Amino acid sequence: MELVQKEHDRLSKKINAAQGLKSVDSIIDLLQSARNTIAADPSQAAITLAKLQNPVKSSFDSINDSLKETHSGLNKYSKSLDKLFKDRPLPNTEHDVLSSQEHLINRAIAMHLLREGQFSVAATFLSEMADKKAIKKQQEAETSATDNAASLLDIDEVPSGEVRKQFATMYYILHELKENNNLLPAIQWSRDNKEALEARGSNLEFELCRLQFVWLFHGGHDQQGPSAGGRQAALEYARREFHSFLPRYLREVQQLLGAMAFCPNLQDSPYKNIFNNPSAWSDVAHAFTREFCSLLGLSADSPLYVAATAGAIALPTLLKLQTIMKAKRTEWTTENELPVEIPLPPSYLFHSIFVCPVSKEQSTDDNPPMMMPCGHVIAEESLKRLCKGSRFKCPYCPSESHPREARKVFL
Amino acid sequence: MAAELTSTRLNAENHLLLSSLEIDLPCFLQDQPLLRLPHELARRNFKSVQRLVEREKEYVLPSLKETANASLSNDQTPEQALAVLAAMISRMQGLKRKMANLHQEEKKIQEQSRKRIQHLERLHQIPSLADVKYDQWSRVRLDRLIVDHMLRSGYTESAQQLASENGIDDLVDLNVFVQCQRIAESLRCGETKDALQWCGENKAALKRSQYNLEFELRLQQYIEMVRAGNKEKFTDAMIHAKKYLAPYIETQSLEIHRAAGLLAFLPDTKAEPYKSMYALDRWTYLSALFVRTHHELLSLSSRPLLHIALSAGLSALKTPSCHSAYTSSSSNSLSTTTSVCPICSTELNELARNMPYAHHTKSYVESDPIVLPNGRIYGQHRLLEMSKKVGCVEAGKVKDPTTGEIFDESEMKKVYIM
Repeated sequence: MELVQKEHDRLSKKINAAQGLKSVDSIIDLLQSARNTIAADPSQAAITLAKLQNPVKSSFDSINDSLKETHSGLNKYSKSLDKLFKDRPLPNTEHDVLSSQEHLINRAIAMHLLREGQFSVAATFLSEMADKKAIKKQQEAETSATDNAASLLDIDEVPSGEVRKQFATMYYILHELKENNNLLPAIQWSRDNKEALEARGSNLEFELCRLQFVWLFHGGHDQQGPSAGGRQAALEYARREFHSFLPRYLREVQQLLGAMAFCPNLQDSPYKNIFNNPSAWSDVAHAFTREFCSLLGLSADSPLYVAATAGAIALPTLLKLQTIMKAKRTEWTTENELPVEIPLPPSYLFHSIFVCPVSKEQSTDDNPPMMMPCGHVIAEESLKRLCKGSRFKCPYCPSESHPREARKVFL
Repeated sequence: MAAELTSTRLNAENHLLLSSLEIDLPCFLQDQPLLRLPHELARRNFKSVQRLVEREKEYVLPSLKETANASLSNDQTPEQALAVLAAMISRMQGLKRKMANLHQEEKKIQEQSRKRIQHLERLHQIPSLADVKYDQWSRVRLDRLIVDHMLRSGYTESAQQLASENGIDDLVDLNVFVQCQRIAESLRCGETKDALQWCGENKAALKRSQYNLEFELRLQQYIEMVRAGNKEKFTDAMIHAKKYLAPYIETQSLEIHRAAGLLAFLPDTKAEPYKSMYALDRWTYLSALFVRTHHELLSLSSRPLLHIALSAGLSALKTPSCHSAYTSSSSNSLSTTTSVCPICSTELNELARNMPYAHHTKSYVESDPIVLPNGRIYGQHRLLEMSKKVGCVEAGKVKDPTTGEIFDESEMKKVYIM
């Protein structure tokens, strides 16, 4: 990388010097002055023209020299690029499953833009897609309108207006929350979706209300720190809103109100963490986004982002594999599983994974994990192989059991 | 003491994990075109400068010599000499203007390259994948990939807007793709002019190309002339063939013979291969061929980078549970019932269906797994915590977050996963 940078600097310097242009200028000057001389005194023509030969030639030579230099600079730069990208060929194009599913990719992109809050880009993208589809349809109608093609086009549904509206709402609420410290729209939303949130075991509503309480406590819009007025407002808020939380969050509510007593010296009280949490707002915003997306059946981080990043992490390994397989002329026969483990960071693991300790295979719907009465789990196929229909010993402990007693479990 | 030991070991392990990630900081693979493309443009630019200078030199130096000789031997009047000089001056000025334009272009390209190198350099300074900066960098990369995909699919407007809204204009090659799309589109509409002009501009580079775009274009022109079907056009077609097709006789003899044979068939013929030569979807083929040649010349990958990244990423993330008929009890402690898994999310689920899933050699479950009477496995701590939060569960009971069933705490049974 450093080499590339160095070569590039050198190249740009050469180009910026614009030596060639200067030489062209000097040729023009030479020609001009020769013309002037001849115009002034026609008898000098022969001599002036003869004198002109060498300087013009040398100027052209100097243009060529500077071109040569640029050329060598370009070459050096390309060499440094080659070096940087050595052993890093672009992945081959043998099986591109994705290009046949262009509409799915486009849909994913449109969704990504929406969830990133880039509504205008998303709108442009959707309308461009619609245009293209219309043209395509027209062409198809012109050639031969088969029912088949028509039904194909219907599949690629794009994010509906409903989804767009939902995300617009989300961004409105987030904007109010982050920019104006206005929690009310978020609280309202969490009340509207109370049941769904409770079923998820989410305490978003309480967290929002607690933050509202803290915010009021610190003086509301003019955050001057705890004041008598702020305390009063917070207390009133607690009286009005907190009673519905009492069954579930009794302890937390007690803490909040208990802190009132420590008001003059909150810093040294056990409650300081609740009241002086610098990341409270961003935490709440994050929790809100997560819950909002979850209720829409979507993951909180853009899947496209996660997948593309994971892809970038996985690519070096996959490419290495590709080269090794080519060199050794081996082939990977299990089509539906990657041949190597990709070292993704733990945050990229989203499911529990069960690898049978006997067969070292991952469990699937056809080969589910089975738990023996002793509590050890192996894959169903391994179990069948081990027991041969009769009682058998668990491979991990002395207990014996009958295969009938093993139970299917879900991870 | 023992606790201390384990904790250090864990740390070391952690560290190892991080450093192993560090070595593999992934990237350049997809970032190659980022530097290659402007470089190709710069080279092309340089070639044009060289050509211009060469042409003027070939003209100015001999003619200067001639005039000098002529006026020495008194063969020309001073007026003639002046006229020659004036012509030379105006040519040189033309050269200067063209060179200045190209120089501006060159500077722009180099500036772009500089920004791109900086962008890549920033990645090098990021210590690990867990760093927040990596997250930011990766987001920029995703934007780049999306723009690339949009441009290749012809969604120019969106691409432009996305690039400018996210401030990555210098990291994407709008103009290149816009031009490419324009020419491809003109070919689709049955127009060879733009494409041939492009071939003319890239003559030298095309010699190295594995596709013979120019020949195919000339052949198409010939076919169109024959299609017109009248006498004059036939002669035109034959002249055209002599001029443009004959030079390829060594490599493309079969096609050229067929082209000659084409004269004997009417456009509505049923006989192959002439039927397919007359076919209108040859234009689509030409358009695709042009795009392939164009990308090859500028060292762009033939498939969108987004596809490459996605197909690797989808596989790396995919688990057998993602398309399982049974809802998985997701292991991610942040969520209970819904999918945080990007593959399970509706956007990518269908896309990932035909992908292979990731290979794992070790089970990955929470450290304190228990099994409920319905066979579902959860981390005990998390399950208790969750049941406490969810309303309407009495003390001493737990609620299965996936199915919603309620069990007694005593029904939880320890399970051992190796």
